[in-house]
Amino acid sequence: MAIHKGRGISAIEYPTGMNQNGDPSQAWIKMKPDGRVDVFSGTADIGNGSKTIQSQIVADTLGVPYDWVTYDNSNTDSSPVCTGTFASRATFVAGMAVKKAAENARTKLLEIAGKELEIDPADLEVADGEVVAKGAPQKKISVADVAVAATWTHGELITGTGAHLNPYAPIVDSETGRVELPPHAAISYAACAAEVEVDDETGNVRVTRLVQCFDVGTAINPTLVEGQIEGGAVQGLGLGVLENCYPYYPSVEHRGGQFGSYLAPGMEDLPQVDTIIIENPSAGGPYGAKGIGEMANNPQPPAIAAAVYDAIGVWVTELPITPERVLRALEAKAEPRREGKVVIFDEELSVNSVSNGGMRFEVPA
Amino acid sequence: MRLTVNGIERGIESAPLTPLLYVLREELGITSPKAGCQQGGCGACTVLVDGEARRACLLAVAAVDGAEITTVEGLGAPEALSAIQTAFHEHYAAQCGFCTSGMLIAAHAYLEHGGSGERESIQETLSGHVCRCTGYVKIIDAVAAAAGGEITSRQKWLPQTGEESPVEVPGAPA
Repeated sequence: MAIHKGRGISAIEYPTGMNQNGDPSQAWIKMKPDGRVDVFSGTADIGNGSKTIQSQIVADTLGVPYDWVTYDNSNTDSSPVCTGTFASRATFVAGMAVKKAAENARTKLLEIAGKELEIDPADLEVADGEVVAKGAPQKKISVADVAVAATWTHGELITGTGAHLNPYAPIVDSETGRVELPPHAAISYAACAAEVEVDDETGNVRVTRLVQCFDVGTAINPTLVEGQIEGGAVQGLGLGVLENCYPYYPSVEHRGGQFGSYLAPGMEDLPQVDTIIIENPSAGGPYGAKGIGEMANNPQPPAIAAAVYDAIGVWVTELPITPERVLRALEAKAEPRREGKVVIFDEELSVNSVSNGGMRFEVPA
Repeated sequence: MRLTVNGIERGIESAPLTPLLYVLREELGITSPKAGCQQGGCGACTVLVDGEARRACLLAVAAVDGAEITTVEGLGAPEALSAIQTAFHEHYAAQCGFCTSGMLIAAHAYLEHGGSGERESIQETLSGHVCRCTGYVKIIDAVAAAAGGEITSRQKWLPQTGEESPVEVPGAPA
């Protein structure tokens, strides 16, 4: 009857940008006559921050201040096709679509600016809302004035479309037997260290600390990345020790009948969470970004399982690591119980005793 | 029955045993209190009833007849956020936002009742509020910052003097 402390680590990789040819995103950008920018993209922001991040990508690519950008994903009729917010693709795939759209809009913007300044568009660049001649910063025009000129002088609309679809990559080429293209456009990596306290009397596992290190490529918005990782910590904690729809699956007996019988982590379950972001840019993502969404809750459960092993010396091989499973694992680890003359069959002991001279325990009838 | 909701007195026509949550959402059209578990377990429906944080899903409206109800709309306005709303905004304490109104109301009540701002007391007070995406870290940071007086209410969103003037559009129809 004691509290045992343990530490465990895990390491994972996670693919983003599915190359299975079924995952397109499209975007459309138009500039209003005052230089403000409307972005139409199909990714729903479900709290992952994709609206913010895609607006950042557009602002940076187009060279306008962030608060000039309005991101509109409210209408599936007016927004172009996007397969959605899933598979850690909103920044990676849809982000590429808005980046390409912004590049095309920038080309149009510089074309009009070139007419206004009478300079070759190739010699112009745009940043912070101003189009400036390369090497001659005194020759400049504000993006707003370019938009005005496009509308009222040149009769043009500064607009751009973009789409992203990873090339189809069969897992293995049936003729050559080789993989011609990587099946995923980017791989994110993560490691997690967990500290736990296991009560060997009640079987309760308390996670006291999670140190999480995620390689997310370029962190376009580090605070939002941190939010994803912190959220993943608590989801992973739930998967690791609490959340269970069917405790005796495939039997559906004893499943929860109401909200309170499904244990989601609450604020008091929160361990110390340390988050480390590693920026290892990807080749295929917008500004080197990778996906972070789904992988955020992957490394915690194995790290917790390893920490439980470190604490009590038994592997619990099913998730979540509930008190019942801890106690059963501890019981299985103990010597076979001898009750009177009946010996409880133990497969491992049986095999050992066979190899040690043929002595064998009998299975009670 | 009558309720004073965010300072405005409203007559209530719903049946007396209707949960306060449905009265707010369906009769009065105030949808910031969320219908989450509707069993008193998740905290998303929390509103202030005479200054106390209560679960609107479990309260029959007749039981709070004449009470003063406050939802997040009554804490502050977009152009003048309350201290706790400002703190949530500054600390990125919302992701999907479903739990946020309940969290804000409970945290506001915690501050009003002189909450110390220590992490353990925040965790204990808000432990009945389930959040599935933030991991709670930034919510606790926000409440601690507001309790510690680091963040106060602000009117940042009102147009600041000296900001750029609207773009003149030459040749455009007046």
